[in-house]
Amino acid sequence: MGGRIQRAVPRELYYTRDHEWARVEGELVRVGVTDYAQSKLGDVVYVEFSGVGQAVKQIGERKEREMEVAVLESIKAVSAVYAPVSGTIAEVNRELSERPELINTSPYEKGWICLIRPTNLAAELNNLMNADQYEDYLKGLG
Amino acid sequence: MQTMSHHYIPNFREIREEMLAEIGVGSVDDLFSDIPPGVRLKGPLNLPPKMSEQEVRKHVGGLLSKNVPVNRMPTFLGGGIWPHHIPAHVRAIVSRAEFLTSYTPYQAEVSQGVLQALFEYQSMICELVGLDVANASMYDWPTALGEAALMCARLTGRRRFLVPDLMSRDRLSVLRNYSSGAGMEIVEVGHDAGTGQLDLESLSRELNDRTAGVYIENPAYLGFLETRAQEIGEMAHRAGAMFVVGVDPISLGLLKPPGEYGADIVVGEGQPLGNPMSFGGPTLGIFACRGDERVIRSMPGRISGMTKTVDGKTRGFVMALQTREQHIRRERATSNICSNETLCAIAAAVYLASLGPEGLREVAEICASNARYLMKRLGGISGVRVPIFNSPHFNEFTLRLEGGGISVEVLNSELLKAGIHGGKPLKREFPGLGEASLLCTTEIHAKEDLDGLVEAVSRVTEGG
Repeated sequence: MGGRIQRAVPRELYYTRDHEWARVEGELVRVGVTDYAQSKLGDVVYVEFSGVGQAVKQIGERKEREMEVAVLESIKAVSAVYAPVSGTIAEVNRELSERPELINTSPYEKGWICLIRPTNLAAELNNLMNADQYEDYLKGLG
Repeated sequence: MQTMSHHYIPNFREIREEMLAEIGVGSVDDLFSDIPPGVRLKGPLNLPPKMSEQEVRKHVGGLLSKNVPVNRMPTFLGGGIWPHHIPAHVRAIVSRAEFLTSYTPYQAEVSQGVLQALFEYQSMICELVGLDVANASMYDWPTALGEAALMCARLTGRRRFLVPDLMSRDRLSVLRNYSSGAGMEIVEVGHDAGTGQLDLESLSRELNDRTAGVYIENPAYLGFLETRAQEIGEMAHRAGAMFVVGVDPISLGLLKPPGEYGADIVVGEGQPLGNPMSFGGPTLGIFACRGDERVIRSMPGRISGMTKTVDGKTRGFVMALQTREQHIRRERATSNICSNETLCAIAAAVYLASLGPEGLREVAEICASNARYLMKRLGGISGVRVPIFNSPHFNEFTLRLEGGGISVEVLNSELLKAGIHGGKPLKREFPGLGEASLLCTTEIHAKEDLDGLVEAVSRVTEGG
């Protein structure tokens, strides 16, 4: 019997407990969902984006609409993607409209969801996990 | 010998006593000891003695015989539910247990018949209204309209919805109710005093960059046609709003499909398509829209879709785009209605399939020509104005008593004495129209029914 599949956790990213990742790219933060998240969602068939220019709040204990950057539809479930950092949505990955499966096949590269122009980056990064912490967190989920 | 305590509760006295002993209670009455004596029933209910099955049949049959069905008394009452002939095979097919008792077709592998029937219904509705996608139905016209308004708001990000001030008051009431939670503003647009049709100047004044949609009924609630529907649609689109049209589907046997004059969403009442009036329901909410993906994603309700099996060899049907719906999307769903009127939709599909475009056209022509004949003859009676509005009409029209002295209620009760069920009094809905009534004709009216009404109305109004 095979063990649990090891899920990719790139070192340079920040992570949320809700399985979003964040990559700081100069003045912007690129956002997506982790390999673990896509494996739980199953085949993603549709991505509904919050609008470019919209303000979003960093994900907190209580999830609110103002924290959503996108909604992912898989075959039998619908899940929100939350902002790892507060800011305004600068760009969304239009390619996902045509090829939502990129979230499954390339969660950390081609399957990115949006770019956020952060408003409180330095402070808010402290609320996120680094790769080691996220790996431990995944182990805890069993 | 063991004795049963009741025909339908087969617990023998011995078993009952055993059960009471088991839980340590002396009698059945002790189980109710927590209920204060003051509110407990003392003695038996004040009801007549029980009846045998035979006696019940006789009793209920006697009660039912007081109802006078449409085939024993001509009716001219429409206004939302219409009397139409239902071919016998429609009832025969929808009475099949596979349709009659089937549950929601979540499990496609055991529901191919229902899913295919719904797919056929949707396809025929699309053809009828001239749009690309129809759902498997809403509850009725008013709720379909409510959903259409919410959909306009979702797609435009706006909350103002314009409606004709002569639209059905019942539908308006449901629309307001339905859209209030979403913070929508429903605005009534005035009509042309002569034609009754939507006044385009008023429309132009009310249209702005907050307007999500413009709604018309065609034929209108009061029977006339909106002859400038295309212009209304163009005005809505220029303002960035959507154009919603409500229909009686029978009229589309003759009239241009709304999709061909710019409608983005069509709603309507499917009851005339093979469904009985049944004192006002169940009914069938028609809902169809344009086919671009963004619009479909925002559509309410269940959709049956056609697909192929994995090997590509076999056609199959499934519930499509369920991620819009409440059982998956929860509070993000496009609608709070997660059900539909499957059996009524199947009846509509059977009705439409068996009539075909020619048959539907024939039904519509008889409805319209009966109305025209009746308008002409009633209009010849002094003190009666028919129709109130100077517009083309389909199968319904308004009548106003102008002689003074006689009210619509008196007219209707006199008609009833003559064995005729009159029109719908409009005083409550539109006091401004005076002693007005809304009458409908369909293919069920024979010439003697129409002549009988004319005779009775002239006898009452002319005191003859």
